[in-house]
Amino acid sequence: MKDSDVIVLEEPKLSLGDQFYIPQVLNGLGTTMKHMFRVLGGKDRVVQYPEEKREDLAIEKGGMLTRTYRGVHRLNKDEEGRVKCVACFMCSTACPARCIHIEADESPWADREKYPAKFDIDELRCIYCGMCEEACPVDAIELTHVYDIVGLTRQEMIFDKSKLLQVYDETVKNEPM
Amino acid sequence: MPKITVDGKVIEAKDRQMVLQACLDAGVALPQYCYHPGLSIPASCRICLVEVEGIPKLVPSCQTPVRDGMVVYSKSSKAIANQKAVMEYLLINHPLDCPVCDQAGECYLQDYSYEYGRSQSRFEEDKQKKPKKDVGENILLYNDRCIMCTRCVRFTREVSGTSELYVDGRGSKEEIDIFPGKPLNNKLASNVVDLCPVGALLDKDFLFKQRVWLLKQAPSISPVDAGGENIFLEYNEGIIYRIKPRYNAEVNTWWISDDTRYSYKAVHSENRLTKPMRTQYGTQVETDYAGAIEHADSALKELVKTNGAGSTYAMLSPMMANEEAYLLATYIRSIDPQAVLVLGPTPSSGADEVFKNPANGKVTFTIKAEKVPNAAGIRRVIEKLGGPKATFEDFTKAESAELKKLKGGWIVGGYLSAWLPTEVPALFKKGLRIVQDILPTSLSGSCDVLLPAAAWAEKDGSWENFAGKIQPFLAAVPPPDGARREGDVYYKLLGRTGMYNAEDVRGEMGEPFAQIPLPDLETLAPAPEFIEL
Repeated sequence: MKDSDVIVLEEPKLSLGDQFYIPQVLNGLGTTMKHMFRVLGGKDRVVQYPEEKREDLAIEKGGMLTRTYRGVHRLNKDEEGRVKCVACFMCSTACPARCIHIEADESPWADREKYPAKFDIDELRCIYCGMCEEACPVDAIELTHVYDIVGLTRQEMIFDKSKLLQVYDETVKNEPM
Repeated sequence: MPKITVDGKVIEAKDRQMVLQACLDAGVALPQYCYHPGLSIPASCRICLVEVEGIPKLVPSCQTPVRDGMVVYSKSSKAIANQKAVMEYLLINHPLDCPVCDQAGECYLQDYSYEYGRSQSRFEEDKQKKPKKDVGENILLYNDRCIMCTRCVRFTREVSGTSELYVDGRGSKEEIDIFPGKPLNNKLASNVVDLCPVGALLDKDFLFKQRVWLLKQAPSISPVDAGGENIFLEYNEGIIYRIKPRYNAEVNTWWISDDTRYSYKAVHSENRLTKPMRTQYGTQVETDYAGAIEHADSALKELVKTNGAGSTYAMLSPMMANEEAYLLATYIRSIDPQAVLVLGPTPSSGADEVFKNPANGKVTFTIKAEKVPNAAGIRRVIEKLGGPKATFEDFTKAESAELKKLKGGWIVGGYLSAWLPTEVPALFKKGLRIVQDILPTSLSGSCDVLLPAAAWAEKDGSWENFAGKIQPFLAAVPPPDGARREGDVYYKLLGRTGMYNAEDVRGEMGEPFAQIPLPDLETLAPAPEFIEL
């Protein structure tokens, strides 16, 4: 690289007026006031979460379209209640956040070769892009519309196979496969 | 040298070479299933058929010798129609189980289906389902994935010479099988897994462990015998999952022995030594690594101070890299110029195991009797440094005046299995013993200082095989927590700065070590069969 390619940037000098920050503070307060008056005047509306949820509201009233929302994952079950996943690693290969960890093993069932002995998703690391769902050749992994997942530790937010199957049990009624 | 034109590209071929091999050598990709440069040519898969000017029909490129001025078309409409037809026929009964097939990612059928096939199947009937078979100790056969290229059958007939596999039935009932009660258990058996272009023959050891596209490769050398077979260590996230052969025309060609293939297991053994120890008031106590090194250093210096020169020894293990042996010898000679260098035990199985092609009696593969990889290299290092030396037999007996003077020394193990001979040298029981090893022995449990070391897969270095060929190897995975590479320990003891660098040390060691080229990672010559499309 030549010296002429280097662009030297200098911090802009603040004038005396700027150094007191008073105009900037007032400016910010103005924005706050503007929104306050808009709400009081009925032009803006605050959603009172969690008493009020966006999915219950109409779209024109600030509601949310749950049908396309990508929330927490679930692992689907087949007709016999077994995990549908065949441990092909397509989801963990496609995952840009590298949050899916699978350990494959020989399946205990006669009609299947391979199944996931372990299947962990780090829900904190996940960016909810839905690539795993796209990559899955057997429609075993899906993103549900559930977004309000909580945990007290990071460890709790690593969902294992049983947890992901439990999410399936809880969501399958509202969101069939 | 005949010149041929393939799809408009002029290629120089060798005399009497087949068109396909000439193309592969020149880097021109032609599809192939049954052809393998190390086996005979049956021309049975028919996907390599090409159009040659002057010949009305398509010819199998694997079996057609080159002729000067030959004009070959592999992408003409006739050739492409054939490729498509072959692919369609092969896929009629091939199960669509790529997601659970271990071969997926390195499967010829997958690659060619993508390159030459059609994405839809016109076959409306049910696919044939054949059961999977247990054909040997390490090998599973999924018959419904088989495309009948017979590479495996030819391998057992021509290379291992054991003929366990054969083709049973004809037409759609054709399948690979073993003879009743005669499993595929020879010492080269697992090579058929590498040979299989599809997922029909799979390694039980690797089954479902990892998807192949997640694996990274490190060029290495076989640690199990003096043959110096070239291998790839395939690893992911610090764990080695399998070993694959690396083509080397002068050493192992395309094959490796099963002992080599499964040698990586010792690296991840649960028994690995990971706690540096030192003896205090007669019992071993855990210590930190730096403390253990310091203790070893001061104890050795103390010993030489009280007993004079010629009172120490260094047992250089034939599992050590040449560089490490050189560094340790340099270190111990810097304390005691008369230190005795001893080559560690070199276990042997008695006689070389020779595999021959029964048809022509040619030797196809040899498994060396000497079960350590670097005895020749260590001998060369000891020779090069000069000074007092002893064989392990003499060292065990300790009869000469020179050996009777010994009061203590540095012992390196590093063997992948139990290595202490039944007759343990007297010097291993008394005096100062500083031990570097990877697996526990009675010696590591009683020595004065124990330094957990790294296995061959965890460090860089070079080994010399029985024929005097010095070959470098590179680290694949880091040593386990608590263990350190020998080279790093010697660098610290010698007061050198930086990390152990095998290449630098080789340069310092002079000829013939200085001239060993590293495997070129950019253009690592793959076996001719692995040319990417």
